[in-house]
Amino acid sequence: MTTREDIAFLARRAAWGLAPGELDALEALGTTAYIDALVDPDGAGIEAEPSPWVDFEYVDEQEVRQQQGLETLDRWTTHLVETKRPFENAMAWFWHDHFAVSFQVVQYLPTLIDHLDLIRDQGLGDFRELIRSISVDGAMLVFLDGATSTGDAPNENYGRELLELYTLGIGNYTEDDVQAAAVALTGWVVRRRLGWEVQFVPRRHDSSPQSFLGKTVNDVESVVDAACSHTACAGFASGKVARFFLGNPSDSVLNDMAERFAAAELDLSALARDVLEAGAAGESTPLVVAPVPWFIGALKATGALIEPRAQIGLLRAMGQVPGSPPNVGGFPGASTWLASSSTAARFGAANVIARSTADDAAAITLAADGEWDGLADLLLRPSGFSAATLAALRDLPANVSTRRGEGALALALASPDLLIV
Amino acid sequence: MSNQSLSRRRFIGAAGATAGVVAVGGGIWATTLRDSVEQSVLEGIGSTTSTTTTAAGTGAAPYGDRILVVLEMAGGNDAINTLVPASGLYNDARRELALPANELVTLSGTDYRLHPALTTLAPYWDDGSMAAVAGVGLVDQSRSHFKAMDTWWSGIPGAPSRTGWLGRWLDATLEGPNDPLRAIALGGGSPALVGDKTLATVVRNPANFSLRTFPDMDADTLINAFLDTAEPLAQTPELAAAQAAIPSTLEAVELLATVSGDIDETAVFGSGPQRGGESVTDLLQTAAGIINLGVGTRVMTVGISGFDTHADQLSRHHDLLNDVGAGLAGFFERLAADGHLDKVMVVTTSEFGRRIQENGSFGTDHGTGGLQFIFGPGVVGGQVAGELDLANPVNGDLPVVLDTRSVYSIALDWLGGPTDEILGGPHDRLGLLAA
Repeated sequence: MTTREDIAFLARRAAWGLAPGELDALEALGTTAYIDALVDPDGAGIEAEPSPWVDFEYVDEQEVRQQQGLETLDRWTTHLVETKRPFENAMAWFWHDHFAVSFQVVQYLPTLIDHLDLIRDQGLGDFRELIRSISVDGAMLVFLDGATSTGDAPNENYGRELLELYTLGIGNYTEDDVQAAAVALTGWVVRRRLGWEVQFVPRRHDSSPQSFLGKTVNDVESVVDAACSHTACAGFASGKVARFFLGNPSDSVLNDMAERFAAAELDLSALARDVLEAGAAGESTPLVVAPVPWFIGALKATGALIEPRAQIGLLRAMGQVPGSPPNVGGFPGASTWLASSSTAARFGAANVIARSTADDAAAITLAADGEWDGLADLLLRPSGFSAATLAALRDLPANVSTRRGEGALALALASPDLLIV
Repeated sequence: MSNQSLSRRRFIGAAGATAGVVAVGGGIWATTLRDSVEQSVLEGIGSTTSTTTTAAGTGAAPYGDRILVVLEMAGGNDAINTLVPASGLYNDARRELALPANELVTLSGTDYRLHPALTTLAPYWDDGSMAAVAGVGLVDQSRSHFKAMDTWWSGIPGAPSRTGWLGRWLDATLEGPNDPLRAIALGGGSPALVGDKTLATVVRNPANFSLRTFPDMDADTLINAFLDTAEPLAQTPELAAAQAAIPSTLEAVELLATVSGDIDETAVFGSGPQRGGESVTDLLQTAAGIINLGVGTRVMTVGISGFDTHADQLSRHHDLLNDVGAGLAGFFERLAADGHLDKVMVVTTSEFGRRIQENGSFGTDHGTGGLQFIFGPGVVGGQVAGELDLANPVNGDLPVVLDTRSVYSIALDWLGGPTDEILGGPHDRLGLLAA
């Protein structure tokens, strides 16, 4: 692959698209430097970005809360489009998918925003530290019922998912381990009357020693240490990150990554660099892109501006809304995005994006002039569209839309080509 | 490709339709296809003359075949708070969550009683078109949502499977190329429908299953161009799959009725019992509309969630069951009014039951032995097969005394089979299959 193709690949997978002109600049920078800038923006001199969300006062009124929620989601998508540190935010999204904390369940915005900040701030840090923070995070304590779990009657919800979904994967622990974790993790509460402050209440905690994964544990610290020190942990976590960005890399690539992640003491930035370097070296398979990254990529390339309510409507119709993973397993897999609902909705969304693109935007002028290679390049497909899409674009009459280029841009965005990254 | 030219012809035919306009989030959309879809609905109604309520399978609808609807209740429905056993052990285990005895719904011929939110279903029990299967599960029943659901979907315990139990039946009975309307998933896709040859249509939200363009655009031309991006198929399987999704989507959109509810697509926090999902009532009304279209649909799944009641179970479970009860009753009433009641079997599934003992969060954790219901003229109703045995717990769970493949067998028999080869051998029909 050419450097331009490598950069375009990294930008599609790890940055969720580029604005017009950025591909040229990054090609001049080179692949290695681009990976550096993605994984370590501080080192590349890209300024840290403040939390994009507003700290709302909680209001116990449905209409106001919906409005605040809408603004939060809008700030989220806007930040994903405008950020100069796109990979940090793509990783935060990975953790959003991994932990799958749902706005539908937690419903308290200040705590949800703290959670979003947590996964953004620690998403490229130390995995063990991240799991420790998540285990006593207010949103998670409510989401998986840790906040109501007591020594007298422990609730297994978080203990089970900590093992099955967050650190080890099924087959690496027993039902007894689940129950031991549930007991040792008791005592944490969320004080709803004190602004959802997280507190540890010793009398709700069962501190008796529990046998857990072959070790003795009795609190959050020891449970997290035992889970993260388990031999399956590095492979489970690194495999999930690698598949998220690379598709289905070979077992040998995954095994090597797991070993290096373990040797790096579960340092996520080392893992991330490893994953992106493997991707640039061709260790990846085609991926069906989910609606949110597809949408963000289209907004970046076109510069289209869409009002918040319409954005959420489009994303919901396609089947993926920020803050609303359908269940504790996170967002569903690729086949979901090929389903008829999502396919039909993507066509409608592409029309809205094209309509919302300015007359002088490169996306519109290239489409109006029939510059199909240039349009493909703008959409980060430097080697051009597929034969079918190219033929459909060439055959499309110019008067399909009142404004020249708008119909062609919509067709390009809706095409199967843009669905595969 | 014949499918494609068929679709293209239909789209050209729809070109004369007047664009309906609806406002979505401040934008104006033309729904050029809605009119042709509505026309199909009308044709469907016009050709349905049957009002028969006699023996199953004798309906005179255009495609005259039996239909199976599977209601997938994701999260693990609490069996003993849905069908309450008459045992003192129930109140011992459920100090906070026990349902008051005087509110439970008596079921004739059994000691079990129904959750009060399911009162609407009692008439079906009484007329013999509703049965319960209790203490049901699969070999190696797992307490992991995902492992349990995988097995429930595949119907093959102990081994990973690429296909679902319904997908294998659809493959086995497929004549000719895939017909996207034979299998429809409402509320979200179901892995149970995955086959090697079958591609099910997924309708997440019936209200917006359409191809939207703006009124000043040449919608038919643009939609036909969208179809053109699907051929020739690319070399890479992923791109080819993305292409293949387009013609079947267009065909389904064109043919399916859009029974639009008043669902607020922009609400950030859902207000229904599920996590931001559609209501059972809306989805089942859509299912009834599809049945009335008579487009050859044989299997539908209806996916709902929220049954993972680790905390605050009483109110949440009540709301969920209330939606299920009202949704099913409304569905059967609509089927009866349309003359289709004799064609349809409904089976409920849920990946596991919950622990006998409640936890400290006014909820219940994952268990094993579960509960299913079967509805319709194909079941010998008014009876509970198996049992919810509180006296002999296994690791704190209800024992699994029946295999869900028995229920699946009854369902596939209803469709006319083949059954046993799909489910890896014969399974007891539990005396529930109507002759």
